[in-house]
Amino acid sequence: MKVLLIEDDVKTAAYVKRGLEEHGHVVDSAGNGRDGLFLAAGEGYDVMIVDRMLPGLDGLGIVKAARAAGVTTPVLFLTTMGGIEDRVEGLEVGDDYLVKPFAFAELMARINALARRPAIAQVPTVLRVADLEMDLIGRKVRRAGREIELQPREFRLLEYLMRNAGRVLTRTMLLEHVWEFHFEPRTNIVETHISRLRAKIDRGFDAELLETVRGSGYLLRAPT
Amino acid sequence: MRSSWKRCAARDTCFVPLPRLVRTASFRLAALYAIGFAACVLLLGAAAFWSTRSALEKQLTRRVEAEMMLLEQEFRASGIDRLIATVQQRTRVRGNLDYFVADPAGKRLAGDLPVISDRLGWVAYDSGEAAGEKQSGESERVLVLIKQLDGGFRLGVGEDLEQVGEMEDTFLGILVPALGIVLVLGIGGGLLLSAAFLRRVDMITRTADAIIDGDLSRRIERTGSGDDFDHLSATLNVMLDRIVGLMENLRQVSNDIAHDLRTPLSRLRQDLEEAQKRELTAPELKRVIEGAVAEADVLLETFSALLRIAQIEAGIRRSAFRAVDLSDVLRTVAEAYVPAVEESGRSLRTDIADGVQADGDRGLLSQLFVNLVENALRHTPAGTTITLRLSRQPAGALAEVADTGTGIPADERAKVFRRFYRLERSRTTPGSGLGLSTVAAIVELHHAAIELLDNAPGLRVVIRFPARA
Repeated sequence: MKVLLIEDDVKTAAYVKRGLEEHGHVVDSAGNGRDGLFLAAGEGYDVMIVDRMLPGLDGLGIVKAARAAGVTTPVLFLTTMGGIEDRVEGLEVGDDYLVKPFAFAELMARINALARRPAIAQVPTVLRVADLEMDLIGRKVRRAGREIELQPREFRLLEYLMRNAGRVLTRTMLLEHVWEFHFEPRTNIVETHISRLRAKIDRGFDAELLETVRGSGYLLRAPT
Repeated sequence: MRSSWKRCAARDTCFVPLPRLVRTASFRLAALYAIGFAACVLLLGAAAFWSTRSALEKQLTRRVEAEMMLLEQEFRASGIDRLIATVQQRTRVRGNLDYFVADPAGKRLAGDLPVISDRLGWVAYDSGEAAGEKQSGESERVLVLIKQLDGGFRLGVGEDLEQVGEMEDTFLGILVPALGIVLVLGIGGGLLLSAAFLRRVDMITRTADAIIDGDLSRRIERTGSGDDFDHLSATLNVMLDRIVGLMENLRQVSNDIAHDLRTPLSRLRQDLEEAQKRELTAPELKRVIEGAVAEADVLLETFSALLRIAQIEAGIRRSAFRAVDLSDVLRTVAEAYVPAVEESGRSLRTDIADGVQADGDRGLLSQLFVNLVENALRHTPAGTTITLRLSRQPAGALAEVADTGTGIPADERAKVFRRFYRLERSRTTPGSGLGLSTVAAIVELHHAAIELLDNAPGLRVVIRFPARA
């Protein structure tokens, strides 16, 4: 994957660049808005990671300018501004938003989810992962032909996992998407819900589809 | 200036040095008023003086004119000798008018006034001119009416202006002291008035000085008279109480932050030291680093919570508030927590009315109830029932998070909203002590009211939202 990193803090930039390169990605980085915008407009990137606070042109401005220039690359904002308004503003312009300090796994999970987001949202009516099947219209879930009863929130959780099958979803991402909690509760409610969901979709079947990735999050995928 | 305040502070009744007194606004006003009043008195006096004087003069001239007429008639009827005799007779009597009768050559034939031969009509004599002739020699001015008689004789009838002078003297003798009294009374009153004002102002100044010097407990004395100064003092005292309260709060918070962050920071340091010094095997090193990361996370989490409270307290724009379906918020929270609550051996019950709304921020309201449920989850024994209730009341939405745990002692209920405050028995449970502070900040932002009540047993947290605008 080709990533553009626009970040003025040298330490953070080096940390992110090294981490991404270790995962086999190609990273171009720019230390200020003007260089960043120049690169963004010229090269074809899969994802842009943009710091909100930059010398010269600020993050929001860069992305607005890039969008105006026809760059449709998905954008993840990095920021120390964790205020609700800042987040709303960021999401209006960009695609995702990550507040510093962050765990690297969180960043990885989010850019993976962004990069593979289909350019034009297809509207599938049935989601499938191995022998697990979700009928979005009938709101039914079957595994190996056997119907599984899910509560509405479990359905939403599974839908999000299935739509992102093969990708790690972090606790924070799940909290944001499934419960709309933009804060971190102390109790690990995600874990308890995952284990209940796992009991319903995996127990009694040959292969486990729902995996826990230690230190990162959760992953739904067909066994290899 | 400053030294005089100190001197004041040392005494019961305040001693105010004169120059300062004179500079006060109240004194200036009083002085101005006194001067204005004195000017009025002066004007009035002058008017009275002039009208009295002209009346007196008119009276005198009439007397002279009448006498002149009488003597002229006598002259016409009986001749010059008769006139001379009459005038001589009149002159002898003291207190009468003054006269002269002169022949055409200007020689005085009778009377005691010096002869004036070149003028006719009203003539004013200076005392000097008459000095030699007058017996008394005291009178200053004489007003004389001179007429030409047949045969070249001249007759002069004069009136001593002594009376007018006396009147003037009397008048000035009254007016000047009266003016003096007015000025003294006015300015003296001003001084007294401003001294009284200054004493009160000084009380306030002294208190402010004491507070500047660090004695925050000082308050302005009140006289109990209920006057403007008392009201002002009361208001200032309330303001001071509020400021002191805020400062205390701030001091408490900074102390608590310093205190609460020392522990994880020193543990972090220990972990790092251990990693640095000893020869560790890879798994050991991994464990130590994991420990350090965990401590750093605790620190970051505490700072995030503090920042969040600060952000909420700073008040995100309330104009961004919109109708929030509280029923949905509470159900989502309940649903999210059912598994965790049940796994911990407690139970979660809900009694949530449909479609209850409040104006607010959905994210913050979720956090509000999450914090309360987590509190109930963490500070109650296993077997506790946690109940979430929501109902629609005439005054607005009423939400309740109740548990059947150990509750909070009544005297500690107000304190639990303070940052970092932990109940004695909760010291060992992990947590930042910021959960309820966040709750309080969110409640405040939404203009809601929160109450901690006894659930007998347990704690009942009641939140009243205002009716929607």
